[in-house]
Amino acid sequence: MLDDTLTPTDAPQESATASAEKAQPKELDFHALNAMLNLYDADGRLQLSADKEAARQYFLQHVNQNTVFFHTLDEKLDYLVEEGYYESEVLEQYDAAFIKSLFDQAYAVKFRFQSFLGAFKYYTSYTLKTFDGRRYLERFEDRVCMVALSLARGDESLARTLVEEILHGRFQPATPTFLNCGKKQRGELVSCFLLRIEDNMESIGRAINSALQLSKRGGGVAFSLSNVRESGAPIKRIANQSSGVIPIMKMLEDAFSYANQLGARQGAGAVYLNAHHPDILRFLDTKRENADEKIRIKTLSLGVVIPDVTFELARRNEPMYLFSPYDVEKVYGVPFGDISVTDKYQEMVDDSRIRKSKVDARELFQTLAELQFESGYPYVLFEDTANRDNPIAGRINMSNLCSEILQVNTPSEYDDNLDYRRTGEDISCNLGSLNIARVMDSPDFGTSVETAIRALSAVSEMSDIRSVPSIAEANARSHAIGLGQMNLHGYLAREHIHYGSEEGLDFTNLYFYTITYHAVRASNKLAMERGESFAGFEDSAYASGRYFDKYTEQTWLPRTQRVRELFEKSGIHIPTQQDWRELRDSVMQHGLFNRNLQAVPPTGSISYINHATSSIHPVVSKIEIRKEGKLGRVYYPAPYLSDANQDYYRDAYEIGPEKIIDTYAEATQHVDQGLSLTLFFRDTATTRDINRAQIYAWRKGIKTIYYVRLRQAALEGTEVEGCVSCTL
Amino acid sequence: MTARLNRVDAINWNRLQDEKDLEVWNRLTSNFWLPEKIPLSNDVPSWSTLTEQEQQLTIRVFTGLTLLDTIQGTIGAPVLINDAVTPHEEAVLTNISFMESVHARSYSSIFSTLCATRDVDDAYRWSELNPHLQKKADLILEHYDTQDPLMRKVACVFLESFLFYSGFYLPMYWSSRGKLTNTADLIRLIIRDEAVHGYYVGYKFQLALEQETPERQKEIKDTTYDLLLDLYDNEVHYTESLYDDVGLTEDVKAFLHYNANKALMNLGFEPLFPNATESLDPAILAALSPGAEENHDFFSGSGSSYVIGRTEKTEDEDWAF
Repeated sequence: MLDDTLTPTDAPQESATASAEKAQPKELDFHALNAMLNLYDADGRLQLSADKEAARQYFLQHVNQNTVFFHTLDEKLDYLVEEGYYESEVLEQYDAAFIKSLFDQAYAVKFRFQSFLGAFKYYTSYTLKTFDGRRYLERFEDRVCMVALSLARGDESLARTLVEEILHGRFQPATPTFLNCGKKQRGELVSCFLLRIEDNMESIGRAINSALQLSKRGGGVAFSLSNVRESGAPIKRIANQSSGVIPIMKMLEDAFSYANQLGARQGAGAVYLNAHHPDILRFLDTKRENADEKIRIKTLSLGVVIPDVTFELARRNEPMYLFSPYDVEKVYGVPFGDISVTDKYQEMVDDSRIRKSKVDARELFQTLAELQFESGYPYVLFEDTANRDNPIAGRINMSNLCSEILQVNTPSEYDDNLDYRRTGEDISCNLGSLNIARVMDSPDFGTSVETAIRALSAVSEMSDIRSVPSIAEANARSHAIGLGQMNLHGYLAREHIHYGSEEGLDFTNLYFYTITYHAVRASNKLAMERGESFAGFEDSAYASGRYFDKYTEQTWLPRTQRVRELFEKSGIHIPTQQDWRELRDSVMQHGLFNRNLQAVPPTGSISYINHATSSIHPVVSKIEIRKEGKLGRVYYPAPYLSDANQDYYRDAYEIGPEKIIDTYAEATQHVDQGLSLTLFFRDTATTRDINRAQIYAWRKGIKTIYYVRLRQAALEGTEVEGCVSCTL
Repeated sequence: MTARLNRVDAINWNRLQDEKDLEVWNRLTSNFWLPEKIPLSNDVPSWSTLTEQEQQLTIRVFTGLTLLDTIQGTIGAPVLINDAVTPHEEAVLTNISFMESVHARSYSSIFSTLCATRDVDDAYRWSELNPHLQKKADLILEHYDTQDPLMRKVACVFLESFLFYSGFYLPMYWSSRGKLTNTADLIRLIIRDEAVHGYYVGYKFQLALEQETPERQKEIKDTTYDLLLDLYDNEVHYTESLYDDVGLTEDVKAFLHYNANKALMNLGFEPLFPNATESLDPAILAALSPGAEENHDFFSGSGSSYVIGRTEKTEDEDWAF
C-alpha cells in the first residue's frame, strides 16, 4: 500500500536516483536535433533552427572527423586516380590549370546544405568513400565538379556552366548520373529501363537476365507482361498448359532482390499488364494483405494499362471482356500489347477464334482502388491518352518504375541460343530535374534549360548498355532524355500563392509552356551542331510541324496579374506565336536531336539534396517524416517554411486529389512523356473516392497515376502530444 | 461490479450500447496486417552491420516481446473477454487476442529472416532464465488470475502501454540510425495496434471504475500504483540486464517513465514521473506517434501506413462523362 504522502506526481523513492541522474539533458546528437523538427517548442512554434543546428553538428560530430584530408587539389586528384577511385579518362580531357580553376570556381560559391537531411543523404548515398566505406573522400563541390567534367567531355565552357547550374541548385542530375560520374568503380549513368517481354521462353529468359544485368548497373527496370499468354492457355496447341504471368513475376522479384548496385541502390522493378489480359485479377491479388506466400509479391511494383474502352464499359455498367494474348497474336500477327484494345474491342468480342472471359468493369475499378488502399499499388497508365499525345510514330504500351517515361518500343526476336535474330527497341531514359524556384531566379532562363538538355544528352551519348542490346540499339538511335521539374510547391509558397489556386494553375501552365519552348529549341540546336536527328524523326509530328499547331494557332498568356508579375520580375520572356513559328521552321528544316525531351519524375533523394519540394506535388507534410532503408527515419522541413508562411504549406492530404490533378493537367499538356502523379487520401476515404479521382484524372487528360498514399490519423486518445506531424 | 454477459445472444452491430466499441472495431479491422507483407529480408545487409553484442541484444529484446505477446494473446485478452459487458466488447477483444498472436508470430518472422537458429535458441533459453523477464510475466499473470476484473484490466493496460516499450525502444533506436528499417516498419505496425489496445482497455476500465464506491475506487487506485511501482522496479532491472552493455540504459529508462505515464493516462490516473517528456531522446519521442504519416521510400520497404480500405461501389453519377 502506498504511503499517503506520496502524491502521484512524485517519483517513487526506490528509483528516484535513476531519474535524478537524468535531470540534466545530455548534449544532443544530430539525430535528436533533427527529430526536434517534429516536435513543437514550449510556445507551440516550429523548431526550424534545431534542424540547422543538426546539419551543423552533423559536420562537426561526424563528417569533418571522417573526411580524408589532402594538402592540395593536385595531391588529392593524383591519389584518387592512382588508388582507382577516379576515372583518369575524365580528367585527362582537360589541362590541369583548368581543372584547378574549376574547383576554385566551385569552392568560391560557398555551398551550404539547407537541411540536415540534405547533408545526411548526400554523405550517406552519393559522396565518394574509401573502399572500406569508413571515410569520405569528396565534399559536395568535388562531386559537382566531377559530374561537370564528365558530362562536358572536354568542353571547358560547358563544364563551367554546369558547375554554376548544379551548385546554384538550378539543375540537379538524377541519382545514377550524380552518384556515378567520374568514379572508377561505378554503375551506369542511366536510371531507368523499360523492356517488353514477348510470348516465348527465350524472351522470358532474356527478361530475367536483363533484370539481373540492369540492376547490377543501377536504376530500375519495368517489364510489360501484356504479351505473355494467360494461365491455362495452350502450349504447342495442348490446352491448359501455361502458368500465366504470376510465376514470371516471382522470378523477376527474386532476380531484383539478388542484384544491387554495389549495395548503393536496391534493385527495383515493375511489371505492367493490360487491364484486358485474362490474368488481370490474379495479377492484382498478388498485393493482397492476405495473399498466399506462393503468389504474394512484396517488392515488385505493379502497373495496369487501361484503355479508354474500359472506362466506356464501366460507364455503361457493362461487363468487360478479357482476351487471350495467345489467340490475339495468332489472329492479328502482332503481340497483344501492340494493338489498341479500344480500336479492336468490338472486333475481338465478335471473333470466335479469340478465347475470352468477362468480368464486371466497375468491379475491376473497385478492385484497383481496394488494392491501392492496401498497398499503394498498382500504377495506372491511361494508354489511349498517352498515345494520342505522343508526337512519335509507334505505340506506347507500358511505363516505368516511376510512371513518367512514355516511349514507343518494338519487339525483339531470338534464336534458340538466345542470340538476337532481330534486335527490337527497348527503352532507357536518363533524367535530371530543374528546381523551379531557382530557375525562376536564374540570370538566364534559356541557358539554364539548354544546359540541362545538353547534360542529359551527354548521358545518353555516353551510355552504351551492351548487356541488353535492344536498349543500346534504341538509345543510340533515339537519344531520349527526360527533363523533370521540382520545387513547384516550394516556389508557390515562397511567392505566397496557394497550391492548386487559380494563380498556381496559371503559373504551372506558363512555366511548362516556357520550358517546353527552350527544351525543343536546345534539342534543335544540338541537331544542328551534330548534324543528326533521332531515328524516325521524319515520321514524327515534329517533322510534319503538327506538334507545333497548338502553339502557333493559339496564344498562351498569363491569365492572372500575379503570374504576369512573376515572369516580369524574373525577366523571363514568354514565347510568342512568332517565336514558335520560327522554332517550328527550324525544327522542320534541321531536325531534333532527342526523340523524347521531358518527363517529370517523383524526385525523392535529389530533392532533399537540392532543398526542393518533390516534383510538382504538394508537400506531404510541413515537416516530412522520411523513411528509407539507408537513412532510417529522418525529418525534412519544407523549403522556405517559416512560422509566418505556414498557411501556404497545406499538405497533399489537405489539398486533396482534385487540385493536384488540375495542376498536373496544366503541366501535362506541354510534356511529351509523362509525369509521376501520386494521389493522397486520408483514411476516411473509400474506394469510391479513389475511383472518382481516377475518372477525374482520366477525363482531365492525365497520362499516368503513380502511387496512392494514405494517411491514417491516430485514434483520438492515442496520439503523441506536441507532435508536428500529428496535427492535421 | 458490472454484470457479466452470461447468455449467448446473437450480436447485433446495429444496436450499440457503447459507440466506442464500433469505432475501435473499425479501426482494428482496417489495421489488419500480417508480417508477410514486410520485406524483412531487405534488412539482412543491415543486420550484418550490427556487432555481435548488438545482435544478441536485439534477439533478446524480441524474445522478451514474444513472451509478452504470447501471454497477451493466449491468456490476457481471453481473460478480459470473460469480463466484457457488451457483446461488441467481446468481439473487439477477440480481435485483440488474435492480433496479439500475429505479433508473437511476427517476431519469429524476424528471427527466421535475420538470425541463425542457434542464436535464437540461445535467446529463448536466456528468456527462460532471466529472472526479471520471468518476474514481469509472473506479476502480470498473477493479476490476470485474481478475482478482480478491474485489476485484470489494469494489468492488461500496463502490459500493452508500458511493459512492451522497453523492447520497442530498440527497433526505433535502430531505425533512427538507419538500421533494420523494415523491422522497424513491422514494429510500428505492432505499436499502432498496441496503442489502440491499451487505450481501449483503459477506457473500459474507466467506465467500470466509475460504477464503484469511492472506497473501492481508492483501493483500486492504490493497488494500481503499487503494481506499477513493482513493475517499474523490475523493469529497471530488466532494462539494465539488457542495455547496460551497449550504454543505452539511461535513455531507455527515460522512455519507461514516459510510457508509464501514458499507461496511467489510459487508466485515467495522474502521471507518476514528472518531466518524462523532456528527458526523452527527441528521436524516439518523434518516432512514437502511432499515426501513419511516414513518407516511406517504396523501393526499400512497404511502409507502415496502409490499411484495409472501406469499399464503396461507384454509382452512375460517378461515371457521367
